[in-house]
Amino acid sequence: MRVLVVDPDPARAALVAEGLAGVKPLEVRHAAMFDEREAAVFGPDVIVVASDSPDRDTIDSLRESTAANPRPVVMFVDRSEPGLAEQAVLAGVSAYVVDGLSAARVRSVLEVAMSRFQLMNGLRQDLEKAKADLASRKTVERAKALLMKERGLDEDAAYKLLRKLSMDTGRPLGAVAADLLAFAGVLKGGGS
Amino acid sequence: MTRLRLGFIALNDAASLIVADTKGFFAAEGLDVDLVREVSWATMRDKMSVGALDGAHMLSPAALAITLGASGGEPTPLVAPFALNLNGPAITLSSRLAGALDTGTSAEGLARLIAWRRTEGASPLTLAVVFPFSTHNYLLRDWLARAGVDPDRDVRLTVAPPARMTELLVGGVVEGFCVTEPWDSAAEAAGAGLIAARGGQLWPRTPDKVFTVTEAWAEANPQVLQALLRALLKAAAWADAPENRDELVALLAAPQHVGADADVIRRSLADMIFHSGGANRPEPIHAGWLAAQMMRWGHLPADLDIAALARRIYRPDLFGEAATAAGLSLPPPLEPLKGYSTAGEFRLADARRHAAQGPLSRIVGA
Repeated sequence: MRVLVVDPDPARAALVAEGLAGVKPLEVRHAAMFDEREAAVFGPDVIVVASDSPDRDTIDSLRESTAANPRPVVMFVDRSEPGLAEQAVLAGVSAYVVDGLSAARVRSVLEVAMSRFQLMNGLRQDLEKAKADLASRKTVERAKALLMKERGLDEDAAYKLLRKLSMDTGRPLGAVAADLLAFAGVLKGGGS
Repeated sequence: MTRLRLGFIALNDAASLIVADTKGFFAAEGLDVDLVREVSWATMRDKMSVGALDGAHMLSPAALAITLGASGGEPTPLVAPFALNLNGPAITLSSRLAGALDTGTSAEGLARLIAWRRTEGASPLTLAVVFPFSTHNYLLRDWLARAGVDPDRDVRLTVAPPARMTELLVGGVVEGFCVTEPWDSAAEAAGAGLIAARGGQLWPRTPDKVFTVTEAWAEANPQVLQALLRALLKAAAWADAPENRDELVALLAAPQHVGADADVIRRSLADMIFHSGGANRPEPIHAGWLAAQMMRWGHLPADLDIAALARRIYRPDLFGEAATAAGLSLPPPLEPLKGYSTAGEFRLADARRHAAQGPLSRIVGA
């Protein structure tokens, strides 16, 4: 079975391809953009496409223009399991298959793709959070240094003051620290 | 605050959604809207079907096709209580091709070129639209057919993403396309193409995009829907007001919205109507005209009751409630459509006759 993964995100496409390689003896290829001629040469049995790929409408339309179409493509909707198509949409992936391919085989491909998409989304979210945490930590360090210098506090007392401000206002420590720095900047810029 | 997720595609006609979001018209109605940019109509369809979106910017013919299940997947009945724009689609031909036509870029010139290419044994020209069930597909087909060009036999019609049209023209992958602005003006600005015809030249005040929700959602959330429509009405009026043009251009040009050059967007907005003259009322006659085109080309069964379908999906009653609440007076419903059909004035009651009498109609024995 030949699977074409169309995904503008190369890292995610590679993850899907790797996941599929472990499932069955099949040939997987990934492309950032869908090219009808290349696809016709490869002759995929299944096209897995990311819902954030602008090429989706092109692939979706192939079943409409059968005269020029290299292979008949139908969107995979397994009516015996109505939840599956829904999960796939929510995971951001869809599959187009050559008519007549067994539902079980398509399902295993789609399930791998879905789990890899979710894994990638999770990784991206973790990365974003780690970046935000790091930025926040740096801000807190700078606010602490400012308090130590301006108020003559030691490090521990400066941190405790920030934490108290955070608890009193019900706002995250990083936000309180950022406000303090911005405020100090305004005073410096506009005042003495 | 009521939380809602609405989808849009990067086109000028998403203006009212973008304005309602960024200028606070949704918030003023107590709506906390998450406006999500989608990159394909197929994904918009799927997300509407599974409820991942509460409402969507939609191609009018796609709303009809999705309701009937003709666009793939299970039928998902949609309602269109609001028309987002009139005018905006245009037909653009590559500069190469336009240069080779002896009579500018009219379809008659193209027809002669196509006939000549056939005698020379050249391959058929490829033209792109944005989605099979789009105003663009049917507008381009009508333009070609009026000049005797069979859109299924004499040219090759393909589907491509709007933002990539210029690149496809430059690369010679397509020789022309029909898409909504700003992507026609963008191709002109890049020197890659020339606008051959604007939608309004074929179908005056061309109906294009609508705002849709599912029929089930509309029934379950009547008050939220009215709040949405009131916000959209205010946003549409804002988008049409000349004094807001500079700000509208800047909003649309932003990378998270349409993401095109500001000067191109300004020029491309020239003939688009977002609000004036009762443009926001979804006119069943518009849905009927588009359904008749779908039937003409064999994309809908020839025995379908077009008037019933048009009135089920296009809901001027839902719109009217919001318009009345906003103190808006509306012109009488539009009927008939004048200047659209080569077979005379178009009325819902004889939609099937028009479908059959359109040039090159696929309906046999009409």
